[in-house]
Formats: sequence, C-alpha cells, structure tokens
Amino acid sequence: MSRAHQLKISVSGIRGVVGDFLTPNLACAFAQAFGTYVGPGPVVVGRDTRASGLMIEHAVTSGLLAAGCEVVKVGIAPTPTIQVYVDEIRASGGIAVTASHNPPEYNALKLFNREGLFFNNYERTELLDLYHQSEFRQATNDEIRRVISDPDTPPRRHIARVLAHVDVEKIRARRFRVALDGVNGAGSLMSQHFLREVLNCELFAISVDPTKPFPREAEPKPEVLGDLQQLIRDNRADIAFAQDPDGDRLAVGDETGRILDNDDVLALAVDCALRKRKGPVVVNLTSSSVIDDVVARHGCRVYRAPVGEANVVERMKAANAVIGGEGSNGGIIFPAVQYCRDSYLGMAFLLERLAETGSAMSELAGTLPRYYRRLGKMSFQHGRLGSMMQALEALYPGAKTDRTDGLKLTLDNGWIHVRASNTEPILRVAAEARTESELDELYRKAESVG
Amino acid sequence: MPSGRSLRISQVGLRGIVGNGLTAAQVLDFAAAFGTFLDEPGTVVLGRDPRASGIMMREGVVAGLLATGHNVVDLGVTSTPVIQHSIRRLEARGGISIGASHNSAEWNALKFYGSRGSYLSSGESSELLDIYHLKKFDFKEWHALGQLREDGAATDAYLDDLSKTFDLPRLARFRVLVDCANGTSAPILRRINERFGTQFILINEPLEGRAFAHEPVTTRKMVALQLAPLVKLVGADAGFLFDIDSDRVAFSTETGHATSEEMVLVLLSDFFLEQGPGKIVITNVSTTALLEDVAERYGGQVVRVAVGRQSAIDTLTGYRAEQVAVVGEGTGAVMRPSFRAIYDGIASMLAILTIMDRRGQTLSRLLDGYPQYSILKGKIPLKTHLIPNMFQEIEDRFPDGRFNHTDGLRIDWPGRWVHVRVSQTEPLIRVICEQRGDAPHGLFNEVMDLVRSYAS
Repeated sequence: MSRAHQLKISVSGIRGVVGDFLTPNLACAFAQAFGTYVGPGPVVVGRDTRASGLMIEHAVTSGLLAAGCEVVKVGIAPTPTIQVYVDEIRASGGIAVTASHNPPEYNALKLFNREGLFFNNYERTELLDLYHQSEFRQATNDEIRRVISDPDTPPRRHIARVLAHVDVEKIRARRFRVALDGVNGAGSLMSQHFLREVLNCELFAISVDPTKPFPREAEPKPEVLGDLQQLIRDNRADIAFAQDPDGDRLAVGDETGRILDNDDVLALAVDCALRKRKGPVVVNLTSSSVIDDVVARHGCRVYRAPVGEANVVERMKAANAVIGGEGSNGGIIFPAVQYCRDSYLGMAFLLERLAETGSAMSELAGTLPRYYRRLGKMSFQHGRLGSMMQALEALYPGAKTDRTDGLKLTLDNGWIHVRASNTEPILRVAAEARTESELDELYRKAESVG
Repeated sequence: MPSGRSLRISQVGLRGIVGNGLTAAQVLDFAAAFGTFLDEPGTVVLGRDPRASGIMMREGVVAGLLATGHNVVDLGVTSTPVIQHSIRRLEARGGISIGASHNSAEWNALKFYGSRGSYLSSGESSELLDIYHLKKFDFKEWHALGQLREDGAATDAYLDDLSKTFDLPRLARFRVLVDCANGTSAPILRRINERFGTQFILINEPLEGRAFAHEPVTTRKMVALQLAPLVKLVGADAGFLFDIDSDRVAFSTETGHATSEEMVLVLLSDFFLEQGPGKIVITNVSTTALLEDVAERYGGQVVRVAVGRQSAIDTLTGYRAEQVAVVGEGTGAVMRPSFRAIYDGIASMLAILTIMDRRGQTLSRLLDGYPQYSILKGKIPLKTHLIPNMFQEIEDRFPDGRFNHTDGLRIDWPGRWVHVRVSQTEPLIRVICEQRGDAPHGLFNEVMDLVRSYAS
C-alpha cells in the first residue's frame, strides 16, 4: 500500500487507528457536531468489544452532553441492536462505537438518525460541514442533560422484532445443534441467549467472551474460520454461524464443515423473505447473479445500488424493498426488523428454513445455481484511475455498462466490476462467470489494464 | 463573548462558565495533558461536585485519562478532601476534581492533584500548562489504554482516618447546625452521624445540580443570612457553613453571631500552636493581623505570602511538615500539614469543636478571649491597563506606611493595614482593610474611592 490511511474523516464518519490518529478529542468533537446536528433529545450510545471502546464511548458521551443531548448508554451491544433501540425509544439519533470488521487497533463511529438508520448522503455532507465549521452547540449548566444506562432492554427489543417474522415454535421443536463463533464481539452474550434460550438450540460456542480480544481476524471470512469448522465436525452441528465484532455481518457453515459463500447466504435469506412476501430486492453492484436467479424464481425485481450499507439502504427505502443486502460482506438487511445489516435475522431465517424443509444446510445451499466468483484488488497511482477504466471498457465493446459506482461491465457469460476503494488507493476488482475457465479469463483481462 | 471573561486557564487549572467559555474540548485536552504530565501510567482518582455540568466533564476526563493509559477510579459526587484522601489510600499517581467550589452553579473547573493528594507546585502546574498548550498528548495504543472502576469505600475510609485524629464520639455531645449549601459536605456529615452518633443537623442538604440555595461562599455575610439566626433558634452549640466542595468553612456562635471568616484560621492557629509552640503559621497578606498576636503568645511566627493557594503550597514545600502549625486563608480554607496537606472544611470544623471541648468553653466565650479587630472588604471591577498607575497613586497617597509588594500592595501602620490586590479569578480589584478595635471606615473608604476612580 502506498500510503497508510490511519485516520479517515469523511461523510461516512470518523475511523482510524486509536492512539496518535483516532484520539478522544476527535471523537468528542465529532460527537458534539453530531449532537448539534440532531438537536437536544436522547442519543443512544453503544459499542463493540474492542479495547478502545470504553475510552471512545466516554469521549463521545462528553461531546453529546456538551451539545445538550441526553445520553442513553447501552454498553456493549451489536450495531443492529443499537439501531433497533434508537427507533424503539424514538431517540434523536444513535452512535455505535465500532470499527466493525476492521482489526482491533481501529475504532470508528457509526452515526444513526432518529429512525436508527444511516444518514443519507446529503445529511452526511451537512454533518461533516458542521464538524469542520466547529461551531457546536455549547449547552450551559442549565441545559446539560443526564446520562441513562440501559444495557438490558435493547437486546430484548431487537430479538422481539426478529421473532415477529419467523415461526419460533417450529425452530424450537427441532432443537438444532448449532455451532457459533462470536469473535468475542458485541454479540457474544446476546447470540448465546438468542440461540440457546430463545430458539432452543443445542449450542456449541467458541469466542463468546466479550472481555477478551478478537481471537481471529475480525471479518468472518472462510479462511479464518478453521476453528468453527472443527467445532462443526466435533459436535456434528446442523449449522454454524460466525459474527463480526459488532454483530452485523454473518457467515454460515453447513453440517459438513464447509463455510458458505456470503452471496449464497444472502441468496438464501432473500429466498426466505420472498416466500413470506413478494416485493423488490436491492443488492449492491458487486453482489452475485445468484441473487437475480433466486429473485426471478419468485417473479420479483432486483435493483442494484452502489457498494456500501448506506447506499443499499437508501435505495431499499426508495424502492420499498422487501429485503436487501451486500453479498460479499455478509450483510442481510430486512427492513421489517430494521434497515440495517442484521446477523440475528439471518440466523433466524436460515434455522426456520431448515425446520420447514427438513433439509440439511448443504442441501439447501445446493439448490442455488452455481457461479464462480473472484474478488481481488490492484493498487493504482493517483491520476491513473480514469484511463484504467477506459481501457477496461474498450476491451468489451458489446458489454452493458453501469457507472453508478466505478465501472460494471455485464456480459453474456458474466460480469466485471471495478471500483476505487473509499479508504485506500486501491482498485477493488470483482468478476463472476458460469464456469471457472470463463472466470479466469475475465479476471485476467481486468487485471491487464493495471 | 458578551459577558466578558468566563474562562480562565492558569496554574490553578481550568475554570469557566460551562457553555460560555468552558467547553468539552478544553476539558478533554486538559485531562489528556494531565495524563501525559503524569508520565508513568498508573491510577488516577476522579470525583466531582453536584453541578449538572460535572457529568459532561467527567466523561471527557475519563476519556482523556484512559487514552493516556491511566486507570481511573471514579468516586462520583464527593468532596475535594475525600478525593485527596483517596489518592493517598489507593497509592494513586494523582487525581482530578471537577467542581467550582464557592462559585455559582453555572461555573465549573478542573483541579489537579499529585501523588499523596498534594496540590501541584508552581513548577508542576506550569509544566502541565505547557503540555496543554502544546497539545501533544501521549495517547497510548489500543492495547495499552486504562480501565475504569468505581469505588464506594472512599467516604468510610476517609472517616476512619478522621476518627483517628478527632474523638468523634466525644464531639457527639455538641448539637451542631450545618448549612451544606447543597454541596458535597451533606452526604459525608450524614454518614458521620450514622457512624459516630454525632448531632449534625443539616440544612440545604440535597445535592443540587442547577442552582444552590444561596451563593456557596464561606463569608460572614452568608452565615448571617440564614445559618446564624437558626443556630440561636434551635439552641445549637455552633453553626457551620461549607462551600460546595467542602474545603472551606465559616461559622456562627451559639448566640447567633456570624463570625468573621478570618476566625477559622485564628482558632486553629491558637489550638495547634498551643500543642506545638514555636511553630509557624503560613497565611496570605490579606488575612487578619490577629494571627500575629496569637503567634506571639506561643513564640510562633507568621509567614505571609501572596494570596492564592498556590503561594501557600509553594512556601510550605520549604518547610518540614512538623515545623508548620497550620496553613490557611481568611476565606476559611485551613490545613494542618502534619495531619494532611489538604484544605479540609470538615476537619477544620471538627478541630473547632475539639477546641470547645478541651477548653470547656462556648464558641462565643472562646472568641471573647481575643483582642477585637475589625476588617472591611470590598471589590471593584477594573480596567486592566490602568492597574500600575493605580498602585502608584496609592503609594503616593500614603507615604507614611510600610509597603509590602508580595501581592499587589499592602500598607501597614501600627494597629491597622490596607491591602489592594488584583483578583486571580475575576477582573476585580479587592480591597481589604483591618484595624484593631473599631472598623477603619475612613481609611477603607478613601482607598475604595481612589480605586473606583480607575474603574470602568
């Protein structure tokens, strides 16, 4: 990497390496800008389990109080749980102190509006301007409000919302054997309760101690889930789940110990949702064509949004989507629970589907059409991006092009999507085809422009 | 800023009106500066007074300390002396108190303490200030951040210590009316009653965050307002008034006479000099000349320094603790270094009750034993650039006196003196004038008029 971006302040919020880069001062100032933006009223503050979370949480709380907000601290909680709770108590907004799947030295603030949703692009620009102008509301002693602590209600409310959309008794009756890797993250305790008590599963859990550091790479990718695979085999589990530190992303393993492709997990969740109610589906440009095939079986329509949860959510709201998500990063968004990536909804949907069909997890995954996908990245020099894109487009004169987010070329036998990362000077390359050899060729051609 | 200066960053720390000068950013910077100043990561004790803004400042202080690698022990709402005591008990590297003591509720402040609960010396304070201004803080990496915990044992541990110095069960024979001014003395005194059977009757007891029952200043005037008449009415043996963080105290006699706040230091000097003849009393140039009379009785000596806690602290470091009988100000802030180098209003009150007990005298009888001095105090808003001219004119006007330039200008004549100085916390000139016997109205008014001619 040519440059280490150890601090990033952008329309997505603030993210960086704790220490010399992401300081409590920055977090405090950003929170005060946020508090000024959303106005006085309760703001929900929660965090994941990373070691810097407590420190940043206090900095954020001081900034919010200084802006005249009331602060509702929910402590360690999954991001979707925080989002649900913001909506439940009609707060003015919410802040999750989490760097999601990033390594432990990072932290970040995720900012939510009064409905517990990401701000849209225009709002985020406004907030960033406010931060840079540094003209924050300064509450006086009479205007400073209190801090309330409520760690117990948010998980209850979140679980209740999920359960409203599945047949709990059907799941409970099967007493599934479930393996879980909680990455010692924010979902560690809630996931155990959810699977063991609420859904009556026989649970085999590893890395569910929120006081311990992440035992593996934070992003639940197949190559870092070896322990979970072993856990499946040792305990003859029916299904396995792995979360990221803030409990929004979900990875799934089948009874053979194989970790499913995230696009396939999303496709199965989409299938579950459309079986309950037909309607539009929104996924990002990089999500697999398997989604299109599944949605087509239900006679529904797929819309594509730029990569990023906020973009997908924005499009889902506009299209009034039934379900959506981002395939490659394990995010399932089911708006009837909340417009956010939610690993709990994903777990419930898959368990319900297993219960309904009586199939094994591998059989369920086997019903999906087979595609070959490859994700990679290329570094590029600043100023070269445009010509690379043009060169790629020239290679495929007959392709259907989409420039919503980078460049996506759709061909008869597959597609290529290249986009510049928001966080580093690299080009992310994704390609998909029906056969492995076609994929090889597509990917090699894409790389040739680098 | 419309209301003028509502923020002051100085060697004393950070002080200002929250939301109108004092901001969350400054609080965090100061806490990070203190964390950096302490160097080696360790434990830092934190406490606050009941002001509503204290919770905002607490969050920022916790963040700044954790980020610089210190473990934080939060005592919650408690008095400054308890914070200082806990620093020592927990062998912490330092402490921070959040509270603006005798200022009104919209103010708040951060004050810093070193290991053993001591006040920072001038040298340490200016180093802290340099770090604050440079804004290069020693933020630790994610795996080296501090931990936060609470400590509910602080008050009882503090009382354990107090009870070793003062015979609390014996002092239970006094009925004492206490005006807590809605500050931190209330829960501590309630606990003393519970544990030792003392009879402290508390008024203005609830902790208040937005507005106090009255201005929380320990002056004779404030004692006279509510406390003194009530003392007489309920037939109490004494009445005491605390400021919000309980480091200062003023009192009323059993007859309902509001005593000059200067007398706290006089009584304690008398008592501790009697136990240790020949020791010294450290006080400022604004405090009553009665101290010299008392010191003379025991072969002691009064060392006079500039006004402000900092000068007294710096001077104290030049002596061994056992050489010093007592250190204090006319404001009712008094410490006894051989016990603890801490201004502690509750300890001062217990010392006065102990004197009453040992000598078997009522408070009014005790006070009758001293020659009478009358002190007059005034304050006038000033124009900063005219200050040197003003001091020059005062010197020219009174050429026959003895001049002392330790802090502003003090002029002494036999049996009377006047002191004119610039306040460190507000844009004010303070005038203090004392005379043996009757009040020196003539001299006081003349100086006040002169000073007023320089006011805006």
